[in-house]
Amino acid sequence: MNEERLKSITLGLVVVVGLAGAALMVRSIDALRPPVDPNAIDESLYLNEKTARRISLGFNGLAADWYWMRSLQYVGKKIGNYEGDIRLDDLTNLNLKLLVPLLETATTLDPEFIEPYEYAAVVLQAIDVQQAIRLTEKGVNANPNAWRLCHHLGYIYWRQGQYQLASETYGRGAQIPGAPAWMEAMKAKLLSEGGSRSTAREIYTRMYEQSSDEQVREMARMHLLQLDSLDQRDGLRKLLGAYQARTGKCPESWRELEQAFRTLRIPLDQSGAPLDPSGAPYVLKAGACEVELDPKLTKIPLK
Amino acid sequence: MNAQLRTLDTAEATTHYEKSKLGGSGSLWRMSAIARNAFREAVRDRVLYNLVLFVLLLTAASIFIGELSGGQERKVIVDLGLSAMLLFGMFIAIFVGVGLVYKEIERRTIYAVFSKPVGRGEFLIGKYLGLCLTLLVNVLVMGVGVSVALLYVSGGWDPLIPTIWPAVLLIYLELMLLTAVALLFSSFSSPALSALLTFLTFVIGHFSADLKILAVSMGSTGARWFFTGLYYLLPNLANYSFITPAAHGRTPAAGFVLATTLYALVYIAVILAAATLIFSRRNFK
Repeated sequence: MNEERLKSITLGLVVVVGLAGAALMVRSIDALRPPVDPNAIDESLYLNEKTARRISLGFNGLAADWYWMRSLQYVGKKIGNYEGDIRLDDLTNLNLKLLVPLLETATTLDPEFIEPYEYAAVVLQAIDVQQAIRLTEKGVNANPNAWRLCHHLGYIYWRQGQYQLASETYGRGAQIPGAPAWMEAMKAKLLSEGGSRSTAREIYTRMYEQSSDEQVREMARMHLLQLDSLDQRDGLRKLLGAYQARTGKCPESWRELEQAFRTLRIPLDQSGAPLDPSGAPYVLKAGACEVELDPKLTKIPLK
Repeated sequence: MNAQLRTLDTAEATTHYEKSKLGGSGSLWRMSAIARNAFREAVRDRVLYNLVLFVLLLTAASIFIGELSGGQERKVIVDLGLSAMLLFGMFIAIFVGVGLVYKEIERRTIYAVFSKPVGRGEFLIGKYLGLCLTLLVNVLVMGVGVSVALLYVSGGWDPLIPTIWPAVLLIYLELMLLTAVALLFSSFSSPALSALLTFLTFVIGHFSADLKILAVSMGSTGARWFFTGLYYLLPNLANYSFITPAAHGRTPAAGFVLATTLYALVYIAVILAAATLIFSRRNFK
């Protein structure tokens, strides 16, 4: 073996072994580093939204997409790290302090980008309602033809119990050319029966139909299932009341109500227990004539 | 070897058109020969290889972006595709543009060209048109690539496909302007400095709206005049940024496209005239 070849092999070995050693060292350093709570730390944004827009040099649409995807990843990562039940419209426990600047930057870079406003309306309304209203209003002002944003702004007011404002916002959206007729109907409905279950059903049905964001649609779907379940539980309570009135006691098991379930058209499992809209059996609180969702099995939001 | 080939090409082209004896229109033919030669040279330099990278980028985006963008893949593909078109085009315009003249001088092939009846202006414009042709092929292929990616993610016809083409035209006009700027700088400066100056022109060109705001906010009349002058004299590249509206399905008004096209042509004519003026006084010894 000549000297040159030996030199090449030695250098090659140094590269391979050195890289492997470096990788191993990184692993051991990682193990030595104290664990950090992923929810406690947040990197901050280097740029504010105005600077980001200024330096985007015609690539503002792409930069807006990047901030939008970063918002989704940010929320997704926080949800992934959270141990417990969580809903898109109630992320108060996640400490999402970067979400406002991320959505703010995305919408400043591309004011016509509707989805970040929609996301702000749905997610931020539980965390920081003022910011949610401000961002959605910003969207309404930047997109005067986007009646969908009025729907979302109305939704925020409705969630806050401000039915008068919600009604006015739906009315504002109904004036926009191309807005569907139900926007006008929602205006009247919110005024007359703002807090009713049928209003909630209407709002979530429209949100499910209109939204292009899969997470928002899923959130609306879960609320619709929850509303279905509330109706079912009302029906079941009536049955339980009637049973108690007839027999003077509460049923010990669902089997005792099997005949009566047929009138309600509720699907039953093999044990005869009625199933909630997510397919989990309802829990009968024997002796109390009360029905509840099974917190371990149901996929329906408990509150 | 490449240098030899280039010398042969240039000499071949000039000789051919010298022989054609086309009288008044001979100038046009000579410029077109130089342009075709510049295009061939760009192809040989593998400039169009950036298309491979572009296709890979779009393919990856089409497949993976749906997962990341929350259902906004169509918008992201248009933004990404058109931005990449502008970015890649800008790099070609700058780095190939500044070398157009310099390489000929460096390799001394320029002597072979000017030993034929080719004017310096003809040479410069021919080179410019050659690079514009390269960029045209580039943006056309990229435009088709974005359209195909949209077809793929939509699973059929997508209404965004026709709306991207006016934006593609505006990007191409911007690249033509940048190429002219690169050529102007390279007619009197080194390639590195020319590239830097052209890039700065690109940056300032997109800041033109800020120049106007700056001018209005200035206290002194002199400074106001200065910034207003800069606003009007520097190329206003912000007019050619129609990527974001295109991603929302909006198209520019025909009058706007016409006006910006006219502006680009006038500005290019001015820059090329200035470049020719400087280049014709340049001593190659």
